[in-house]
Amino acid sequence: MSVLRKRWQYVVLFVGLAALFLLPAYSSESTVSFVNRVLIAIVAVQGLNILTGYTGQISLGQAAFMTVGGYASTLLVTQLGWNFFFALPVAALSAGVVGLIFGLPSLRVKGFYLVMATLSAQFIIPWITRNIYGDILHGAQGLNVPVPIIKLPVINNLCFFGTQFDGELGACVYRFATSDQFIHISLVVVILSTIVAHNISRSRLGRALVSIRDNDLAAELLGIDPFAYKLKAFFIAAVFAGAAGAMLAHNLRHINSVTVNLTDSILFMGMLVVGGLGTSLGPIFGATLVILLEEIATVMSPWVISVLPDNAAGATAALRPLIFGLALIVFLIFEPRGLAHRWKLTKAAWRMRPFSR
Amino acid sequence: MRKNPLLILLSIVFLALLLSGCASAAEEPTPAPPPEPTEVPVVEPVAEPTEAPAEEPMEEPTAVPTEEPVVEPTAAPTEEPEPMLRTDNLEGETIHLYHFGDLSGPYAAITGPLVFGMQDAVNALNASGGIRGAMLDVQFADTAGSVDEAVAAYDRFTSEDDNVLAMITYGSGEAEALASRFVEDQIVNLTAGFSAEAFYGPGSGYTFGLGPIYPDQLGYFLDWLVANWDEAKPASAGDEINLAYLSWPGAFGQGALTTESRAYAESLGVNIVAEEIYDLSPSADTTTALLNAQAAGANVIWTNTLAFGPAALMNGIGALGLQGQFVLAGDNWAMDLATYAFVSDPSLAVGLITPFPYLWWNDADNPGIQAAQELFDANERPAGAHNVGYLLLLAGVDLLRQSIEVAIDTVGFDALSGQALYDALTTMGPIQALDGVIRVDYSDGSRSPHNVQLRQIQGGPDAFNVLQDWTDMPDLRPAGE
Amino acid sequence: MNWQLLPQFAITGILNGGPVALIALGIVLIFKSSEIFNFAHGQMLLIGTMSTWWFAAEEGMGLPLWLAVICAMGVSVLLGLLIERVTLRPMTGQPLLSIILMTLALGQVLQGLTILTFGTTQRNFPVFFSITDPYKLSLPFQYNGNPIVVILRQNLVWTFVIAIICVVVLWLFFQFTHTGLSMRATAEDHETAQSVGIRINRVFGISWAIAGLIATIGGILIATASGLDLSLSIVALIAFPAVLLGGLESIPGAVIGGLLIGLVQGLVALPTNDFFLGPAVAQAIRNSTEIVPYIILLIVLVIRPDGLFGQKRIERI
Repeated sequence: MSVLRKRWQYVVLFVGLAALFLLPAYSSESTVSFVNRVLIAIVAVQGLNILTGYTGQISLGQAAFMTVGGYASTLLVTQLGWNFFFALPVAALSAGVVGLIFGLPSLRVKGFYLVMATLSAQFIIPWITRNIYGDILHGAQGLNVPVPIIKLPVINNLCFFGTQFDGELGACVYRFATSDQFIHISLVVVILSTIVAHNISRSRLGRALVSIRDNDLAAELLGIDPFAYKLKAFFIAAVFAGAAGAMLAHNLRHINSVTVNLTDSILFMGMLVVGGLGTSLGPIFGATLVILLEEIATVMSPWVISVLPDNAAGATAALRPLIFGLALIVFLIFEPRGLAHRWKLTKAAWRMRPFSR
Repeated sequence: MRKNPLLILLSIVFLALLLSGCASAAEEPTPAPPPEPTEVPVVEPVAEPTEAPAEEPMEEPTAVPTEEPVVEPTAAPTEEPEPMLRTDNLEGETIHLYHFGDLSGPYAAITGPLVFGMQDAVNALNASGGIRGAMLDVQFADTAGSVDEAVAAYDRFTSEDDNVLAMITYGSGEAEALASRFVEDQIVNLTAGFSAEAFYGPGSGYTFGLGPIYPDQLGYFLDWLVANWDEAKPASAGDEINLAYLSWPGAFGQGALTTESRAYAESLGVNIVAEEIYDLSPSADTTTALLNAQAAGANVIWTNTLAFGPAALMNGIGALGLQGQFVLAGDNWAMDLATYAFVSDPSLAVGLITPFPYLWWNDADNPGIQAAQELFDANERPAGAHNVGYLLLLAGVDLLRQSIEVAIDTVGFDALSGQALYDALTTMGPIQALDGVIRVDYSDGSRSPHNVQLRQIQGGPDAFNVLQDWTDMPDLRPAGE
Repeated sequence: MNWQLLPQFAITGILNGGPVALIALGIVLIFKSSEIFNFAHGQMLLIGTMSTWWFAAEEGMGLPLWLAVICAMGVSVLLGLLIERVTLRPMTGQPLLSIILMTLALGQVLQGLTILTFGTTQRNFPVFFSITDPYKLSLPFQYNGNPIVVILRQNLVWTFVIAIICVVVLWLFFQFTHTGLSMRATAEDHETAQSVGIRINRVFGISWAIAGLIATIGGILIATASGLDLSLSIVALIAFPAVLLGGLESIPGAVIGGLLIGLVQGLVALPTNDFFLGPAVAQAIRNSTEIVPYIILLIVLVIRPDGLFGQKRIERI
């Protein structure tokens, strides 16, 4: 089944994407920054969706693999002088390799045990960034990350495509400094990752993963090697996380061992469930809703402070986990199949009109 | 069907390229007067070589200068005084200030009083007529100690306000991570996180400290220690000074140990024999760190921590019966009343030595301290806020008031900008904020104070007595500056 | 290596493992009865301890300490019952993923509630034992001619003793009381238990209540060491590896797992700068207390996934 059926749906998609690309032109920086955060989260959750949604392997290590990606890309850019756009895929792949290592316990265990194995990634990887190779990784202090740039040669003493001359580099340079510019990178990566994730779900690989999720013994009987496919899923999930982490690091311009942490891993799982496990649209819906809730928590906190003046300090810190946790509980009890399922029902109802209720 | 995603993708990439072209041209900042070259060490991204006007057609290529950017001879904005320069009677105007810090994470214990100080100082200033009649408006964001929250807050503030003058930050981590943004957006950052990286790292330049950077503090203490070792040394110690660096992980905790401060310690003949990390938590167990330091032969401990950080060490020393075996020293934040909430026996705190870049509540003859005490009492702040953070921010707001007034006098209220404030701070020379509670001088190219006291806890709470009066510190700024 | 300090670090480590063992026990208890791995345990512990502080502190109720502890235990029992009834009962029969996420979500909610009610500031938790006057234990052997003296903080010793007493009391409870026996029966087999007239919903509730109760005791014990703040909930993250090390369903396993984790955490402090792999490695090992539990966990998962004392019924694939 394809996602899009009709020509007008393509038009809607294209107009929507164009609207997102043009977002910095007509909306405030904070909106752009919000959309940017959503986009980066979408990539991470799409990876998790392949591992958890399709393959059924629960992981609390996604943020750790983001950390790997962030550090890898930063080091490639700062130590080896690579351009960010080459560093990004390599960083994603290196995160994938680390993901493979932590996927190895899936050889022997599943369920809770696997959760614990991935949780250990969440402890061990940040610890490594803090305690090993201090001269390169700068310990707990972390690294300042350069802004992604596009360099173009100077032609006839002129700089084209809106680039600016940079005397130090001796070239025309376009800097993706703030979210206004960075959002274009995030959008392209999200579009790519959506296409990849969606195609994985429709390929032999995706069907094999689903069969492992639904019944691994039966899958094995059908000639699918569950272990190999699980490792593939771990790899893919970590690659997505690595890409997200690299983008996050270059967008924040700083990374350390706690930039993305256990709470983020929990948030990603939550986004996936809220959005809908094992669906292409789930990560998009989930990331948007959960980060929107975070924003709402931030906006609500002055109000909470006015009600509870004694605890003014922690209002935002209290509301965020509270609202997220409650939303997740509500979804788990009342709509465990997530927003994507609800969306499908709505679409079906629309198509069936006027016969649907 | 198969081809379509690719098609979409290609067109989108094309669109993106097209748009990025537009975006940059549209956002081209209007040419600002180039900052005085001697003061700004970093490459100013806005100091454009070309005088490209903003209304240029979007796809028009920009010209590349053939020669080096012209350094305009101190094009001070004062040269062309406008007749309408508004410097007084600013009633009805508002000056926005923004601050963010950790009110719900691990550093909450110190940020709380800092924020109280900020609020009380601003309220008092507004009540007394504001700055030339203009009211101060302050917005706060809680970052829970995480850098990405700080970046989000920064983005939110800058998108709400095109002309942010100054932001006040409290953490080393966020000051470091945002340093380059402050430069790019020309926003003065007044900070209470004194990591050298934030002030002098690559791409920094708009970050000003209310206190000296941590490597300077360590060097300053070592200077004193070497000169006074015979009197200060523990009874059991020999002539060798063996320093153990026991601290928290993170930008702040590790902030005093830099290449420069290590080299300086070596040049003084001080051995750094142990570097141990303990948890950023009041319940941190420091016994292993202490035992290892002891086993390594340490007789001096430096801790770059605050509130419960030194307390954890003091409790550990008490629990292990190691009293009198170490000279305990730390950064300026380590000597604070907040420590007493976590130390099991106040006598354990006696002997702590730290650099002290401000006056203290017990300097009651100072009018600034008296004013602070009155303000504190009038606002009925909790006893826990009667500490360094509160005092420092009262002084910080006074520093801002003075520099904003100078900036208004120079460029007029309507041209007030972060750049103008920067110029004011770097040209004012020695500034005594809040009647000398803090003393800074940003005119010599440094953006952190260099003249401090050394104090020691001698007796109960508040007995933070002067061991060495205001003296200059060694300059351990990172190389490259 | 710092052989001189070996006994010191080993004994401190084991003693530190006492409260961890107690907390691990609570996790095992819930798992045994209802097959739910409680990721919200740290936050339950936090709420229990925070309310102890509130009942005892001047700013709060100002009750005497023993009364405060009892009140806080009441709170945590109610909390445990409430959690079980409101959030986990509807999840019966749901897939593992949903149940794990439910406890994670619960953890977030409890975290938010704690901050909302108690704020974020660090609390000065009442200190029961003198901090300045440690016990000194002379061991009857020497190292390099130096006598070995182990210095133990008073609260460390007593914390351990109290934790072990709690473990013994629980063991007696399971062995000799009717409720305890019916809980064990439920743990064996839900249907069989139901068929002999045990109301397993009631058993689930009781196990959550008891787990909340002992989590609170563990939290209080840790908080007395030198203070209380939100980071207290992290202890549970050390207890998880202890649980798996001991075996998910084994009560003695949880206790021994907790103590072992404590021991290893103590021993990593041993390498000094003369370590054979160099000072940098020694430094890294010394700083590894937070991850050794997880390294042990990974080793256990690969070598012996059912833990030291767990039942061998993990589905191998």
